[in-house]
Amino acid sequence: MKKVTEKQAIYDIAIIGSGVTGLAAAMYAGRMKLKTILIGFPPGGVIATTDWIENYPGFISLSGKELADKITAHAKEYGIEPILDNVTDVSQQDGVFVVQTAFRQYRAKTILFSTGTHYRKLEVPGSDTYEGKGVQFCGLCDGPMFQNKTLAVVGGGDSAAKEALILTQWAQRIYIMVRGDRLKAEPINLERVNQSEKITLLLNTNVTRIEGGDRVEKVLLDKPFQGNKELAVQGVFIAIGSVPLSDLAKKLGVKTNPKGEIVINRQTGTNIKGVFAAGDVTDTEFKQAITGVAEGVLAVYQAYKYIGGEAVSSCVDEEYLDCPMASENLRKQPE
Amino acid sequence: MSEVPEDIAETVVKRFEEELKKPVRLVYFTQEMECPFCAQTHQLLETVAKLSENIGFEVYDFVKDKEKAEELGIEKIPALAILGGKDYGLRFYGIPSGYEFQTLIEGIILVSSGDSQLPSEAVEVLAKAATSPVHIQIFVIPTCPVCPVLGAMAFQFAVANSNISVDIVEIAEFPHLVNKYNVIGTPKAALNETTQFEGLVPPMQFINFIQQAAQGSPTGISPTI
Repeated sequence: MKKVTEKQAIYDIAIIGSGVTGLAAAMYAGRMKLKTILIGFPPGGVIATTDWIENYPGFISLSGKELADKITAHAKEYGIEPILDNVTDVSQQDGVFVVQTAFRQYRAKTILFSTGTHYRKLEVPGSDTYEGKGVQFCGLCDGPMFQNKTLAVVGGGDSAAKEALILTQWAQRIYIMVRGDRLKAEPINLERVNQSEKITLLLNTNVTRIEGGDRVEKVLLDKPFQGNKELAVQGVFIAIGSVPLSDLAKKLGVKTNPKGEIVINRQTGTNIKGVFAAGDVTDTEFKQAITGVAEGVLAVYQAYKYIGGEAVSSCVDEEYLDCPMASENLRKQPE
Repeated sequence: MSEVPEDIAETVVKRFEEELKKPVRLVYFTQEMECPFCAQTHQLLETVAKLSENIGFEVYDFVKDKEKAEELGIEKIPALAILGGKDYGLRFYGIPSGYEFQTLIEGIILVSSGDSQLPSEAVEVLAKAATSPVHIQIFVIPTCPVCPVLGAMAFQFAVANSNISVDIVEIAEFPHLVNKYNVIGTPKAALNETTQFEGLVPPMQFINFIQQAAQGSPTGISPTI
């Protein structure tokens, strides 16, 4: 760790994580005239690997990368220049937070963790062996390599449904292996899965092993399919949820829940003063791009107030009596 | 994509107006009996060249202009050399369509300024890593949204360090390379025929691979994404 020097600038807020949550937070921080640093990798976060988003208000359909690019461009309008790098360490020294990347060190009065999540790996024999050799995590990135192939998608949620639907562009047959008795996808995606002639749902089915030679050749199942516990596939796409990227926050002493998610209050505050968290890394139940963006914006406002910024009124007309910002004289006037 | 949609063209024009201050040459290699994507690539590059008066567009025949191809180290078509004030070693094989259009634009802007836009600390670390020539091939497909991040990062390294040259290779057009380098996911990088890695890696990790390649150490890992 490099020694902190007095010459280093102190940022009002360091936003760690450059997914849509961090990008939106940075955009707002720019508007609030906070001296802001946004550090994260990869740009756009996990959502950038999503083929289509249809539930972000204002956009009927766009790709995850498009959404991230739009928010990035919006943030840049307010002078934000994202730094594409991983943060390797965060500490607190002499009352300020010190953020270390591979190349530089930054100091800030407040921190916002918008570090998101990473793909959860399937813990069965063969999963690690064949990672990148048929065990894949990104349908958009790797799907074209599986033209006319038979694939397994492992997962029981909306991500698995969407991954399978993406892969129908290239694959000949796709089996979704669902551990439970139903695919818990958004109704619209469930309908699309059911209508696809290429997709077969295998319910109450677990993959117990992945086997092959140089590449994946088959999966072993815990329940026979068409009388056989072996299923020949050339690729296995994993969509079994995600792991919160909260290690840096934990190192700082931020409280997490048993899932490793950062525990936040309604104002996005954590158990450490000056440390905020937003988006998929938090213990919020309903994790969506729009909820992460909203949390990120709220976190920036709380950080703004924490460092001494005056409350911002949402009132259209401060003479309106119900407005919290209305002058005391107005409030005292009889109706 | 052989034509640039109007809204994207407007964005690119704006960026070029702000960031493209010095001339860039797009040197394109095709041949008389064109390859499947040669005509589309030609049209796309011609369109891009028209988006800024600072971009020149030159077309060469891979067979007839053998000397020019050899001068720029072009071994297959369709091929594009992106040249600025000097040749920074930026090449694109295959059509830069889909998400790869972004890599093309980033490459043009980088060679125009000659500034890698990397922090000075990263340039220093890179100088210590790339102590001998490192040829980086990055295998991509147009639908891969994270591929341009790795491609643009590699371009930055090439602009920052003259020991580094970069080929972006659209693998659908070069199936023999898919087999040769066992590409099963993108992005995938091959460095100096000794070092390979799959997936998107942050800058410092990429520099570590460059160092291994410069030292001739064989290695390979498969990070996710």
